[in-house]
Amino acid sequence: MLKNKKIVLVFGLVIFISLPIFSNSNKEKASETSDKVTTFTAFFADPNSSWNGMQDDVGKFLTEKTGVTLNVEMAVGDPAQKINLIAASGVYPDLISPKGDNGALIESGALIDLTDLIDKHAPNIKAVLGDQIKRLRHSYEDQSIYFIPTLDAINQYYYKVGGPFNLQLDVVEKLGYPEIRTLEDYEAAIKAYVEKYPTIDGQKTIGLSLLADDWRIMISTTNPAFFATGAPDDGEFTIDPKTFDAMLHYKRPAEREYFRWLNHMNDIGLLDKESFVQKYDQYLAKIAAGKVLAVIDQDWEIGQAVNSLKSEGKFNRTYGKFPVTLDESYKIPVFQQAGFNGGWGIAITKSCKDPVKAIKFLDYLASEEGQILVNWGIEGKHYNYNEKGERIIPADVLDMKINDNNKFKKETGVGNYLLSLRYGDGNKDSTGNYYTTNYPEQILSDYSDFEKKVLKNYNATFWKDLFPKEDEFPVKPWGAAWNIPIPNDSPITVFQQKEQDIIRQLIPEAIMATPAEFDGIYDKMLAQLEAIDSTKIEKEYTSYVKKRIKLWTE
Amino acid sequence: MANVEASKVDLFVKKMYQQRYLYLMSVPFIILVLIFNYIPIWGWIMSFQNFKLGRTFFEQEWVGLANFIQILSDKQFYLVLRNTLAMSVMGLIAGFTIPIIFAVSLNEVSHTGYKKIVQTISYLPHFVSWVVVAGIFYKLLSTDGGVVNDILMKLGFIGEPIQFMAKGKLFWWIVTLADIWKEMGWNSIIFISAITAIDPQLYDAAKVDGCGRFRQIWHITLPGIRSVVIVLLILSIGNLVRIGFEKQMLLSNPLVFDYSEVLDLYALKYGLGLNRFSFGTAIGMFSSLVSVCLLFTANGLFKHYSKESVM
Repeated sequence: MLKNKKIVLVFGLVIFISLPIFSNSNKEKASETSDKVTTFTAFFADPNSSWNGMQDDVGKFLTEKTGVTLNVEMAVGDPAQKINLIAASGVYPDLISPKGDNGALIESGALIDLTDLIDKHAPNIKAVLGDQIKRLRHSYEDQSIYFIPTLDAINQYYYKVGGPFNLQLDVVEKLGYPEIRTLEDYEAAIKAYVEKYPTIDGQKTIGLSLLADDWRIMISTTNPAFFATGAPDDGEFTIDPKTFDAMLHYKRPAEREYFRWLNHMNDIGLLDKESFVQKYDQYLAKIAAGKVLAVIDQDWEIGQAVNSLKSEGKFNRTYGKFPVTLDESYKIPVFQQAGFNGGWGIAITKSCKDPVKAIKFLDYLASEEGQILVNWGIEGKHYNYNEKGERIIPADVLDMKINDNNKFKKETGVGNYLLSLRYGDGNKDSTGNYYTTNYPEQILSDYSDFEKKVLKNYNATFWKDLFPKEDEFPVKPWGAAWNIPIPNDSPITVFQQKEQDIIRQLIPEAIMATPAEFDGIYDKMLAQLEAIDSTKIEKEYTSYVKKRIKLWTE
Repeated sequence: MANVEASKVDLFVKKMYQQRYLYLMSVPFIILVLIFNYIPIWGWIMSFQNFKLGRTFFEQEWVGLANFIQILSDKQFYLVLRNTLAMSVMGLIAGFTIPIIFAVSLNEVSHTGYKKIVQTISYLPHFVSWVVVAGIFYKLLSTDGGVVNDILMKLGFIGEPIQFMAKGKLFWWIVTLADIWKEMGWNSIIFISAITAIDPQLYDAAKVDGCGRFRQIWHITLPGIRSVVIVLLILSIGNLVRIGFEKQMLLSNPLVFDYSEVLDLYALKYGLGLNRFSFGTAIGMFSSLVSVCLLFTANGLFKHYSKESVM
């Protein structure tokens, strides 16, 4: 008897252990009525450390207004892995913002076509888009609309210079505000300052530091090559504005000269020896120490370090932006317009509990009221109207916004809800105020006194004043080539990985080599690119560019 | 003859019946192994398909050996295979000799308290994650205030700081060194415990016979832990191609790419990273097959020459 009991016990244990494997753990899909608060699950590829579970001021207001709260999961590490997992599992969050890694989701049919939903339930989104709704269509072959664009704002007018040629304010100040227009000027300024001040705060002065940590090599090392030689940002390819032929931008002869200049900078010891070895955090630490005179990088990549310089009051160690090019015959095209790109944004998945409510939520965010809310906050709390009807941020709120932006975002939620279509900087709403908080006067108040002094000596008010303006360049009819969706099984996908493997190794090698070896290594790189069929792939890419132009104009 | 066979089977069944509870007790573990180790092998089928997400098994496209052909015709594959094998062989040699030497010499220390402290300190780095270890090594070998460069400069061996991390040829050594620093103490635990299991009478007898310290080590300690060493060695040889990728990924940088890419990184980048699940699976399958072959070869060799084996 006793023995039998034991057997039963063992069997029971086995069944108990194996039960969860066979049961389906995903059964929570109770339908909720639309007047109650609906919680949508969401996944964002861009982690936002200020996200507060919608418990901030704006979040609470939004829930009250739309009956929606979001339960957000954000990417940890590489978002592509998580997104593929989501696509493979078939268990989708209600909303998903995958940025560039949307291929697998679309391929597996996870996303719903929003065309009808927008048509029926989203008057605000339609109004904001107008004619440009064409640009939301995915591709020439698949004209469904999967995303409400969140990355690219409508009619964005750029006030701020993002980069890439930064020079410490102290350098130009101490040198008596020399003209910084070409790489030669840039180099001369760095050189003169290093000679004059070999150490900064007791640490060795670093002339120029670059970053090559993984994909960041593109931002700091390879993309500036086309900026400095007058070509706009189209990712790894450069597009001929007349024939729309794509070509790997490294093949442009002028870019070889840019890299040759970097090689020269290394040769004369002005380039940080650790440039291609250092990791992102080491790079930031160096900048935050104030000892790096020049960084060739975008604002968003060095922002963290610059903020810490500001909070320590080292305003002379923050950076000014200069329109540097290879020589005077080029114009730096950082303000060349690509038009509205559609592209990356937020999608509603097949498993969404209530797609209509979801699109209405996004539509509210795109309304004038919603846009003012996400950009400015709540009236009476985060902004007021003065007697002239101008929207004003109270001094204490502004102080927190500038000096403790992380806390500001977390508490107020301003800037946390850029989850739908919206107007970019420089657009005015029905009250005659700007939709966003980036407008000339506001930007000016962000500048430190030191920065203003430097700008004054260059006869400028904004950094942008030093740069060639939008109207000096034609609008690119293909938008930004880097966000043209390429199907997963296209040979371009594998090519780009191989191309990156070659570039990420040989560009640093060429720069670190002696000047005599430079051409040999650069030629070797071009030969290796040819060996992986770059010419064939360029033709393929050209066809995608042409198809996009067709999609947008038809 | 048939009779003998039959009686053998009878005996087996009888014995099985006698041991029925033992068999029953092993059932849960067999189920676990089936679920976690055998059922996933089903996924290998993917490597003969052009697998796409969101399609059922029957909708997938069959491509035969195309994925394997693609792998074997990729030059980079041989490069990563070379790196993988080089680093794992170096790791294997250093990862055995050094912990054994450490264990043996620690065993010779007579002060128990000191012994305990040293042992504890030596295995603590095992619990430090690779991210941190990589950070420490980067800092140590940095040209900007790195300890190693500073010492070499002060001693006058070099005039200019050396860019250790930018030298491809040094990469394998750095990885091996970091691995030893992290795992030496941990790996020696099993040898230390094997040494303590040796009968102390043997040492006494050896002393009577006039053996010195080194003779004792050579004739008693080392033969005493021989079987443990061989079992561990065979198992590690089986894992030669699977050295993981954390160390390589964290310690590498674009300049040493030709020496730092390993099989798993390659599978990650060109397989999963590009949503080429079939390609990634094919690489995984390839390395599993190689592992099994290596394991059996090593096992067979040891069985033949030293009469010790795991199977």
